[in-house]
Amino acid sequence: MAESNMADKGIKKVCVIGAGTMGAGIAAQIANAGVPVLLLDIVPKEGDNRNAIAEGAVAKMLKTDPAPFMGKRAAKLVETGNIEDHLGKVAECDWVVEAIIERLDIKQNLYARLEEVRTEGTAVSSNTSTIPLEQLTDGRSDAFKRDFLITHFFNPPRYMRLIELVAGPKTNPDTLEMVREFVDRKLGKTPVDAEDSPGFIANRIGTFWIQQAVNSAFDMGISVEEADEIGGRPMGVPKTGIFGLIDLIGIDLMPHLMESLTSTLPKDDWYQKIARSETLIEGMIESGYTGRKGKGGFYRINREDGKKEKQAKDLKSGEYRAAARPGIVRGPAKKDLKALISAKGKVGEYSWAILGPTLSYAASIVPEATATVVGVDDAMKLGYNWKFGPFEMIDKIGVAHLIERLEADDLPVPEILRKADGRSFYRVENGKRQYLGTDGEYHDVERPEGVLLLEDIKLSSEPLIRNGSAALWDVGDGVVALEFTGKMNALDEQVMKLIQKAIPMVKKDYKALVVYNEGSNFSAGANLGLALFALNIAAWSEVEKSIKGGQDAYKALKYAPFPVVSAPAGMALGGGCEICLNSDAVQAHAETYIGLVECGVGIIPGWGGCGEMISRWKDNPRQPSGPMPAVSKSFEIISTATVAKSAAEAKDYGFLRKDDGVTMNRDRLLFDAKQRALAMVDGYEAPEKPEYRLPGPSGKAALDLAVDSFHRQGKATAHDVTVAGELAHVLTGGDTDITETLTEADMLKLEREAFMRLVRNPKTQARVEHMLETGKPLRN
Amino acid sequence: MSDVVIAGYVRSPFHPAHRGALAKVRPDDLAANTIKGLIERTGVNAEDIEDVLMGCAFPEGEQGFNIARLVVLLAELPLSIGGMTMNRFCGSSMSAVHYAAGQIAMGAGEVFIAAGVESMSRVPMTGFNPMPNPELAKRSAAYVGMGDTAENVARKYELSREAQEEFALTSQKKAGEAVQKGSFKEEIVPFTLPDGTVIDTDGTPRPETTAEGLAGLKLSFDENGSVTAGTASPLTDGSAAVLVCSADYAAKNNLPVLAKVKSVAISGCAPEIMGIGPVEASKKALSRAGITIDDIDVVELNEAFSSQSLACIGDLGIPEQKINLDGGAIAIGHPLGATGARIVGKAASLLKREGKKYALVTQCIGGGQGIATILETA
Repeated sequence: MAESNMADKGIKKVCVIGAGTMGAGIAAQIANAGVPVLLLDIVPKEGDNRNAIAEGAVAKMLKTDPAPFMGKRAAKLVETGNIEDHLGKVAECDWVVEAIIERLDIKQNLYARLEEVRTEGTAVSSNTSTIPLEQLTDGRSDAFKRDFLITHFFNPPRYMRLIELVAGPKTNPDTLEMVREFVDRKLGKTPVDAEDSPGFIANRIGTFWIQQAVNSAFDMGISVEEADEIGGRPMGVPKTGIFGLIDLIGIDLMPHLMESLTSTLPKDDWYQKIARSETLIEGMIESGYTGRKGKGGFYRINREDGKKEKQAKDLKSGEYRAAARPGIVRGPAKKDLKALISAKGKVGEYSWAILGPTLSYAASIVPEATATVVGVDDAMKLGYNWKFGPFEMIDKIGVAHLIERLEADDLPVPEILRKADGRSFYRVENGKRQYLGTDGEYHDVERPEGVLLLEDIKLSSEPLIRNGSAALWDVGDGVVALEFTGKMNALDEQVMKLIQKAIPMVKKDYKALVVYNEGSNFSAGANLGLALFALNIAAWSEVEKSIKGGQDAYKALKYAPFPVVSAPAGMALGGGCEICLNSDAVQAHAETYIGLVECGVGIIPGWGGCGEMISRWKDNPRQPSGPMPAVSKSFEIISTATVAKSAAEAKDYGFLRKDDGVTMNRDRLLFDAKQRALAMVDGYEAPEKPEYRLPGPSGKAALDLAVDSFHRQGKATAHDVTVAGELAHVLTGGDTDITETLTEADMLKLEREAFMRLVRNPKTQARVEHMLETGKPLRN
Repeated sequence: MSDVVIAGYVRSPFHPAHRGALAKVRPDDLAANTIKGLIERTGVNAEDIEDVLMGCAFPEGEQGFNIARLVVLLAELPLSIGGMTMNRFCGSSMSAVHYAAGQIAMGAGEVFIAAGVESMSRVPMTGFNPMPNPELAKRSAAYVGMGDTAENVARKYELSREAQEEFALTSQKKAGEAVQKGSFKEEIVPFTLPDGTVIDTDGTPRPETTAEGLAGLKLSFDENGSVTAGTASPLTDGSAAVLVCSADYAAKNNLPVLAKVKSVAISGCAPEIMGIGPVEASKKALSRAGITIDDIDVVELNEAFSSQSLACIGDLGIPEQKINLDGGAIAIGHPLGATGARIVGKAASLLKREGKKYALVTQCIGGGQGIATILETA
């Protein structure tokens, strides 16, 4: 029976039981993948609506920021119900995710009911973070146990890439693989196999780490700001550091985490010794100071007297005071872990007080919690957003040095550190990344099928060409990848030069080009720093040359005799958006935040974005006909510097075409983009040049009226009106007449001229400068 | 010459644009259904109808192609009936009544349908391709936004936000009471959606409105202004129709006459304060009827905005108890092209219901116009 179901392995419909934050968030991510999902919760004690809890959860998510849903269409894929009336529908589902309260008896009771209604072969998994699998399936049939596993998501499920998979001794490997495939390819998560041990991997280490950092801060008289400065960025930890992170996840969660780990870990586990609570923190929880969701936490924004002051809690007095910026981590300690823990004074002492025990503890749970060091590192990087995993940190410090320090402080030196015997945990051998196994041997880090990383390619090859801002890589099968390499992957003349150089090379020796990189953001747009420098010295001809250079490079890519596929992930702004607009196709990561944001800094898109957006909207069959609709829509989107909050939303704005691809798993993006490009090679013809029939001054008059109205409403500043006026001039075709036709070159010229008028405006220059200094737009 | 009478009035349910029950309904289908309802309810012999006049403020897209004639065909009325789309923005379908009255007066037909329709969900205000004359846009307020005119009037007449909100609240209250009493039942022609759902009530009124709720709304048009969504009529989908015929014809055919058309008028004013258009238009119509505002028993004044309503009420000296007895556009909605027919029909029915003699029906019009009609009990 189970075998026959396995023939069709795909998961086509999922049921999530439990509509709390996690369950609802998991359901949303399943819907984001385009898969229908049934979300069930209990029948509320009060009221007539028996589905109120699940319905309420969906309604709440539609208002949550950051949004659990990638778009409104996704929300429609969630069907809500309750476990009294709708549990039978589980029979239609291929996977049931249980995400209800962490109580063994209630979970067991639900599984007993599920056993009655589910089809054999339907996977059942728990999102438990604390209860051992063995206890969960106690009393269930073997058939149930074969289909059961733990799928431990991290909060928020849409954004956190980690999922810990725990299989029991009886779990059918096919079921495990079916779920693994689904969470990887459809939900975009990176599955890490964990053993059935308390806290699994990430929370076990994470809870220890937070506890150790909090204990040490209290013991050593370190302030919360100092703790977060030392324990944040220099360690490759998000800037929230320790106390900022606790505020984010909720201070009231701390005692629960501690309780669940102390009650399940063996009595001699190191964590048992450090687990303790502070009177100050208990008091904060009691009085509702539970962090960002409460009245405040270790930090708060004090809005009294109409001010907006960031304050921090004094750990000694318990009072709030103005938050300080200690600035105590200086020099090499900022970037070098070894220098950090060796620094004199509290920087070195506190960083070691966190890292020494945490790294030792992390090293001690292999293979008890997971088979390899890779599992530990992946778990912390993807579940806690650490830049480096514990073993990668150990390599940075040096295994021998770490052992020395641990011994000197009488701290445990786990076996795996001894086994390393002075060797690093990772190495590159024959162009392959390898890790040190518990057997004392090196093994290749294996990538799942369909995962292709530039990071791996770089281990075994050199770029075909490179300069200070970009590089071109052979990514196999006749495809090259154009990588941006500047700070924030900013775009400049160098990038454009490399594009021009790449085109004849690809034409001669390759089949297709993908634009791809592995930065956290595809590109933040043009290099504003360089631009400001040119503006400050009034090098107008240089500025115009760089605009023209960008237009020429992008159009050369557009009309190159081979397919060009852009593969954005993260932010793709301004020029980063325009290169996508000028590509034959886009394969975007689901978490792509794309937009033409130029107006925010007082300019307009200058590398072909204006014309491309009009073409997109003109080609949209749902737009009414006539000269204005495409222009109005493009104007609305560009003038407000709209950024799509997902690839799905990018399609609604026309930044992506309806048939552009979306990859859920970040690690699969390059592979998918390459496949898309290769699929276009046969019979490829460059696109025809567009022609534009635009409304001219009459259309501009309409847009001006709208902008004036926004100005009166207080939604547009005086300079917004100027910038929008130039944008309107370009989008409506300048002085064209409705009977005339404009070419792409005409549009580019309009764009350039308007751009040049704006950069000469001191108010635009003030915006650029402000953005560079503060990272925020100036509303002048 | 025979008198011109209003011998029937119906309308579709009114629903807020985009989020209402009629958002997915084509305006031509909606209008056809309304007109069929008018013919059925009045019992008029369709063969006798000369022309269908359809007011529409943005006659393009699904409201294009001379929607009046298309509605005749959609409603499967006799092919002999004509169809003309008329546009005077918000005054469109009141102008349709005026045109019909004029035609009857000159003997160019005995029975007309004066109707109006607007789907503000499906054809945006300003249309799909707004292309103003750039020169005119520069030198006049010809294309000024309606919200801005409401702010201008509020400023000129020193109308506080509180006063505007009190007026809006009253409108909501009156409409709420009318709904309770079932006063709209006999005028609404139910519309059946493709899935079988019957829409037979309005989706626009918000009887739950409170003064506190209104006071909490954000300003809609001017950060230093006083007009909010609560003191403006909502974007609405709807249609309305009245049967206009000669008194002789009505008598001969036993039609249920509601009122007779006593006088009509059009006037112009500055576009930036178009909201005061009703003042001059009403004065002209009153003078043509040979009566004064004191003779008027019932007033249907289109509530485009609280501010312009208050300004007109003040200038004309209308006692509050005579105005919009069943609520106005702030509560019921304002499907631009349909409103004129609605308020003419409504005023005529109110004369009958209340047993009164004279009604004034008037509205302001974008671009700077006013339109008015005086009805007299038949």
